[in-house]
Parts: sequence; structure tokens; C-alpha cells
Amino acid sequence: MKSRYEAAKNVFIDSVDINDYIELNSSLSAYKQLEHSINKPLKMILLFGRPGTGKSILLNRITEKLKHQKEIYYFDTPAINEKEFFHKLFKVLTKKDLPKNTEVNFSALVDFCKNLRDKREIIILLDEAQMYGPEMMEKIRLLSDTRTVKFIVSLHKTDDEDLIAKEHFQSRIWEVIELKNASREDQTSYIHKKLLKKNLFEIANSIKDKDMKLIHAFTKGNFRECNKLFFTIFEICEYYDKNEPSKIKYDQIPKRIIEMAALKLGYINV
Amino acid sequence: MYDIKPLEEEWNKYKKKKMKPWYVLLLTFIVVTACVFIFLNYKDLILSKFDNNISVPSDKSLHTSVFIDRSLMMLEVKNKRIQDSDNEEKTEHKIGKITEIDDPMRYEHPNAKKVAITVTEPVKKIKVIEKPRKRMHLTIIETTSSSAYKDVERRFSDTADPDDSLFLARTYYEKGNNKKAIYWALQTNKLNSNIEESWIIFAKAKARSGHKSEAIRILSNYIKRSNSIVAQRLLIKLKK
Repeated sequence: MKSRYEAAKNVFIDSVDINDYIELNSSLSAYKQLEHSINKPLKMILLFGRPGTGKSILLNRITEKLKHQKEIYYFDTPAINEKEFFHKLFKVLTKKDLPKNTEVNFSALVDFCKNLRDKREIIILLDEAQMYGPEMMEKIRLLSDTRTVKFIVSLHKTDDEDLIAKEHFQSRIWEVIELKNASREDQTSYIHKKLLKKNLFEIANSIKDKDMKLIHAFTKGNFRECNKLFFTIFEICEYYDKNEPSKIKYDQIPKRIIEMAALKLGYINV
Repeated sequence: MYDIKPLEEEWNKYKKKKMKPWYVLLLTFIVVTACVFIFLNYKDLILSKFDNNISVPSDKSLHTSVFIDRSLMMLEVKNKRIQDSDNEEKTEHKIGKITEIDDPMRYEHPNAKKVAITVTEPVKKIKVIEKPRKRMHLTIIETTSSSAYKDVERRFSDTADPDDSLFLARTYYEKGNNKKAIYWALQTNKLNSNIEESWIIFAKAKARSGHKSEAIRILSNYIKRSNSIVAQRLLIKLKK
């Protein structure tokens, strides 16, 4: 027999799926800010925040929203090397594939971009930009200087990556958008909306405010951590539902299970 | 999920660890409450023990040495500590009165009416020297005197213990019964002619009953034999 918690568990599988996008007050504000920045004559925009704050999903969403209005491209995974990156870029700019053994002449590419000025406005969203080396970032800057290609660079906010941001973008980035962890209210809303989207009303109602208080304390409002924790909570609930139903109540999630999930994920230690 | 059992065990450990401070707090609260409760209920006892610095066993030993007779088990004992100098003066006064009459050693025997006893046992002397101002007094109040005396008299007929006869001589003298005091002092002297107190009582009782010259004669004889200072003083007193 299929447990009711199985579906709930699957809701929290961590993925960057636009269909899973939950519109929250904070994310709506970030979205509007980014959309506004894209419309400005900027060369580069820096989007940064700690892992799990929703940068990727925001980039994904803006791509989906603007893809019919603007020439926008989303590079979700960083290229493993310069050659691959320029192959991808060449395809975006020329709409043609480059033969595998051919290397892109960067100067020629810059010239090509200069020629496209005022003819095309290309927006490229670079996710996980901390993976690109300094040389690559310098080339990206030179390309953005042509004013044909606008780069939106998404970075993880850690001490080291802040340094990268300072070194490479300080004098060039014209707009910085920071994504922060969700407040308890936003996180509660996120969980409920996520469950209701899959018609899991009863389970959504079984998550009380006091549970969210505890969950927010464990995850510090991070969406990815929150997804991980809920996935584990419902995984434990699923086990009990199938094997020891006396240990579970359907109208609420026992605090014990939340703590067990937190123990499993290492938020708390014995 | 296959690792649910280890996870449950881990959670149990976590719960115990989490609750530990609360258990400690609860235990502390119980202990503190109990201590406060005990202190409030036995405040007087605790404070008196703390102040006196005289251990309970010494009291017990005193009791046991005093109550050697079953017939005297009904005596009430009151412990009293006299701290200030005024009280001490009063005590000295009382003691003075007693020593004027008797040897302190005689108080090892019970059945005296309102007698204050200074604890000057040889073993306890160390403590008394350490704190000379602190003296402990026992006030023994007789409640069943007549029956108690009869019991002692009856026992004397069986045991012929000079302590019993001396006790009776002393008590009757204090009660003003000179005739009986003389009789029991004589009985004591017959059993042991070296007891100074019995000679003193005998002489005093004789003098009080009007036979002053006989008393002087007896005392003189005793002084010749024993050279007793107490007897000499009494003799001077009687001669005045």
C-alpha cells in the first residue's frame, strides 16, 4: 500500500524545476529587481547569496518569463574548460555549431560582438560562476564591454567567493542583487504552497507553527536545507506509516520525527 | 529508510542529553527545598548544636552516668547553656552554694532536687579548658521523690552500696531531716570510713540538730585521721 507520505516526500526532492517555483514575497521582490536590472543598459549584473537561497530557480524563472521577449540564455552548469565555454557562446551568438576540433578565436569573437551592437541584445545567465577562473572572467568582461552581450553572474556567497567578486567585478558590476535566507513566515508559506501545489492538504495542515519554528531554527531559512529536512521527515513518516503506524499521528508531525530527521542530517548532534 | 532503529536510539540519547540540565535543575531544586524544609523545622536544634560545640555523645554519656537507677528514669533533664557573663555569675553563685556543702563528685548519683551540675568530668576537661566561658548545666527536677527514696533504701538493704547510703544522707540533710541524715551518714561510715562527705554531713546534721559539741568532737577526730581541709573549715565555722 502506498503511504500518503510518499507523495509528500517527493515534493521536496531538490531540483531546479520551474514548475516547482514557489512565489514568495522575498523571491518576488528579487525577481522584480532582476527584471528591472536587465532592462537597464548594464554590462554585468551580480546575483549572489548563500547556497540554497534560490539563485538558480530565480535565473530559471527569469529565463522562462523573458525568453519570448528577449534573447536570453541560461548556462546552468559551468563549462569544464574555456574551449567548451566559447563553443557554447559561439553557438549562442552565431546560432551555429562549431566543429569539435576547432578553437574559438577570442579576438574574432569580440569583433563579432562589436559588429552586433545595436542590432542584437543578448543576455547570458551564468550560474555557479565561482567555477570560472580569473582568466575566463576577464574574457567575459571584455565580451560584456562590447555592449552586445549582457552577463548575469550568479555566485555563491562564501568568504572566498566574495573575494572573487571583489577582484573581478568590483569595478565592472553595475548592479548587485543579493538573495537571503527566508524568514520563518516565508519558509512556512513556501512549505505550504509546495504541498498544496500537489494537493496534499492534510499533510500541509499537519505542519504547525511550532514545527516551522523548529525547522526554521535547524535550516536557518535556507530553501535547500529545508527541502532536505522535509524530505527526511516524510521519509521517516513513511516508514512509520508502513511499519509502525501507532508511532505516528496523521493530524500532526511529532516533534520526535523532526528531531530524528535533524539528527540524521547533522543539524543536531548527540 | 533502513536505518530507523539506529536513528531512534540516537534520538533517545539526544533526548536524554537534552533533558539532563532539567533533571539536574529539578534535583537541585528538590535538594534545596528539602534542606530549607529541614532547616526551618529543626532550626533550633541545628543552631544549638552548631553553637555549643559540645557533642551529643557527651550529653548521652552524662545521661547514662546519671540515670543508673531505673526508678529514676522519670527525671526530666534540661540542658542549658549560659553564655553571657551575667548568667555565668549566677551560675557561679549556684555552684558556690553547692560546693559549700558538698563535693562535686557526689553528683554522679541521681535523685537530687533542682541540682545544677557543672560538667567537670576528667575526659571532658580538655574541652572546658579550650572554652572556659562555656559551661553546661544540668537541672534535675525530681518528680517522684518519696517513691524514689524508698526504692534506694530498699536497694541499699540488698546491695549495701555506700553510694546509695551517702545519697540518702545528703538528700535528707538537704531536706532538713537531720535524724535520717545522721542515720544514713553513719551507715555510710560503717561501710567506708574514708568518705569525707559522709563525715561532713554527719557533723553538719549533728550541729543542726543541736549537738554542736558532738559535731566538733567527731570532726576533730576525723581531721586527725584524714587532715581534711573541708572538715577543718567546717570545724572553724562550728567553733565560731
